[in-house]
Amino acid sequence: MRLSRTAAIAAIVAAIALVAGLAACGEKSEDVSGETQSFGLTLDFYPNPDHAGIYMAQKLGYFEDAGLDVSIDTPSDPAAPIKQLAAGRTDLAISYEPEVVLANQQGLGVVAIAALVDRPLTSMIWLKKSGIGGIADLRGKTIATAGIPYQDAYLKTILARANLSTGDVKSVNVGFGLLPAIIGGSADAMLGGFSNVEGVDLRMRGKDPVVTPVDKLGVPTYDELVLVAQRRRLEEDPEPFRLFLAALARGTAAAVKSPGATTAALLEANKGLDPKLTRAEVDATLPVLGAQRMSTPRWAEFIAWMRDNGLISSAPSPSQVMSDDYVPGKIPE
Amino acid sequence: MTRDFLSVRGLRHFYGELQTIDGLDLSVPAHQVLGLVGPSGCGKSTLLELICGLREARAGEIAIGGDAGSAPERLARCAFMPQRDLLLPWFTALDNAALALRNRGAGKAASRKRAGELFERFGLAGFEQARPEQLSGGMRQRVAFLRTLLSDKPVLALDEPFASLDAITRAEMQEWLAARLAEDPRTVVLVTHDVEEALYLSDRVAVLSRRPARVVDSLAAPAPRAPDRDAAVTDQGFVAARERAMHALREAADRP
Amino acid sequence: MRRWLLPALLLAGLIGAWQIAAGSGALAGALNLEPFLVPSPAEIGSSLWENRALLAENGWVTLREVLLGFVFALVAGLGFAVLLHLSETLRRASYPLLIASQTIPIIAIAPILVVWLGFGIWPKLAIVTLVCFFPITINTLDGLRATEPDAIKLMRTLDASRWQILRRVEAPGALPYAFSGARIAAVFTTIGALFGEWVGSNSGLGHQILLDNGQLETARMFAAVVVLSLIALSLFGLIALAERRIVTWR
Repeated sequence: MRLSRTAAIAAIVAAIALVAGLAACGEKSEDVSGETQSFGLTLDFYPNPDHAGIYMAQKLGYFEDAGLDVSIDTPSDPAAPIKQLAAGRTDLAISYEPEVVLANQQGLGVVAIAALVDRPLTSMIWLKKSGIGGIADLRGKTIATAGIPYQDAYLKTILARANLSTGDVKSVNVGFGLLPAIIGGSADAMLGGFSNVEGVDLRMRGKDPVVTPVDKLGVPTYDELVLVAQRRRLEEDPEPFRLFLAALARGTAAAVKSPGATTAALLEANKGLDPKLTRAEVDATLPVLGAQRMSTPRWAEFIAWMRDNGLISSAPSPSQVMSDDYVPGKIPE
Repeated sequence: MTRDFLSVRGLRHFYGELQTIDGLDLSVPAHQVLGLVGPSGCGKSTLLELICGLREARAGEIAIGGDAGSAPERLARCAFMPQRDLLLPWFTALDNAALALRNRGAGKAASRKRAGELFERFGLAGFEQARPEQLSGGMRQRVAFLRTLLSDKPVLALDEPFASLDAITRAEMQEWLAARLAEDPRTVVLVTHDVEEALYLSDRVAVLSRRPARVVDSLAAPAPRAPDRDAAVTDQGFVAARERAMHALREAADRP
Repeated sequence: MRRWLLPALLLAGLIGAWQIAAGSGALAGALNLEPFLVPSPAEIGSSLWENRALLAENGWVTLREVLLGFVFALVAGLGFAVLLHLSETLRRASYPLLIASQTIPIIAIAPILVVWLGFGIWPKLAIVTLVCFFPITINTLDGLRATEPDAIKLMRTLDASRWQILRRVEAPGALPYAFSGARIAAVFTTIGALFGEWVGSNSGLGHQILLDNGQLETARMFAAVVVLSLIALSLFGLIALAERRIVTWR
């Protein structure tokens, strides 16, 4: 009796541990042939049309052709990628130009090596039915924000162009809840949605949005999404990064040519996406993809703007936070 | 001349600052039963624990078989039967009885066999696989006693073993214990609040005072463990002894 | 069977009321929200069915985290309880630290664990273990200490070693308490797994809930919550079943 009882406990525990453990081990990526090198990429958010080039390159085997076995991590927290990168847990991360500059201030030793999207997608959005005609009409209105400090600075700059101050509007931090805030009517406008995601979403829902990217409203232009790597890794072994960017360029070119295939690739990667909405977002996104080069003067201007708005204490030179040396077609000296 | 198997000399014990035992002397010849009676709270149970080596006494000497050993040495030679049977509910009657054997390293089959052999003599035949909750009070005490016996210790310390039983069962159990001790004699110290029980089961009865405990009277039992209990306890000599013990007990209880 | 009747009736009543309120749009109106943000049980049910493959896939990921995490928590919880029971010094030293470990907000520590341990199953296991070991330890420790002192004295006279006393008296006596703690821990496993997924994961119900939230797939998000509850309830039931089989003497 005693033995069978102990055995029963042990058996149940062992069975559970075995099943779960075996299954967990199955998560490890398989070791492909010795010729390919494993390469970790962490996205900025869940797979969406901004990542079209990446998923097409993956699907069409362009990374494999370049000798890279790319594994993709999809966080749900946009602050995670740079942290993962700094901790050495991933080779390449997708982040935002302001985040890269901030990371540099923290001494994280990371550097942007290519743009994924070389213009702002972050937009000020309001619905036509709100009757807002321009920024000046925002006086006294409620504006939903995502609670990100540099986006609060966008708002300040935008309002200043219409001679408004932040005290003239009610800004509410809704975190991830930008869409519900504007659809539900608890906010009159929102800042932080992407023109090619939230903007398209609202249009598909028949809400008639007015979508204006922030660089049209007075914020200096910047690269919305950039690929970021550790400087130390780049100096040690730049080859995989070059190969990755070259394969990405091929994938992006293929994506731009075939929106249907791109949509299919994205739906495969993220099974929860709505097909019609994704296709609409893909159509809105493909035109802004492709250019990997980053512009030194424009980075300098944006960095200066960050300093002037108190987001950083000193302005690094662009070469400290970004480098074009790895983009295909540029021959290093 | 019978050599004392268990002897206590000048035992003194305290509970913190409070003296609980004051100069206690006891002696028990081998294979005899010493009954201890006394007022409630006089420290009878503590005395048993000290004898068994479950505790260290403050002062005094306790010797078993002529050796005045340390507490752990006494512990190895004494078996303790507590007031409540404390049968483990997760073991069968058989496994409860065989506990001492298992603890000493005997295999499950061997210890069960040895314990099982005694079940019939203890009136427990057929109840080997029963759980304690399925047994009557008397049966549980019998399993507990078997457990105590199977520990093969020369000294048995019984702490009010039949206190929780009704009068009829208690009388039956006393007769039953007498028979068992006749078969398998041990040196026994028996603590009980029942004077009649003490006089029936013991060779000698010591009456203890209130705290701090001393021996205030010691008398020989007229017919220790006589097979016919009813006859024995109605015997004149027995009645006289009982009166004397009760008197000593009452005096011990009254004295401040 | 009758034991299930009353709760089942109550649940049916609540769902029915919710269906009426949400289906008619009254609930949405009262909360001043768009109707698709306030799904009715029927919509949730149909979303459950339509998305069953996705929910099953993500559910399996989370289930693994929950089960494995629970096993770790069990081992850690029981281990701590035994260690702290055997050593008074260790207990006095560790007890306040153990309690303090429960005051660490998971929201703060989860992102750090993801940085340390990556996107795989390990940070989730760490979080579930951290959240769930405590009730097991505390309850088991109480159970061990609740052993009758007289039973221990008895065992000493029956030549039992410390280990034998633990194995034959203290541990079996502590089993009902341990199961109590395990039942409490079971309901926290899903919360722990969820937190882990929220801060760093590529799959799982928590990951899916966040994405659905961002895309306003509210019905599917609720469906994921239903699956999550089922996981927790199943674990709870499994433990109750195990207790019935193992603790046969109460």
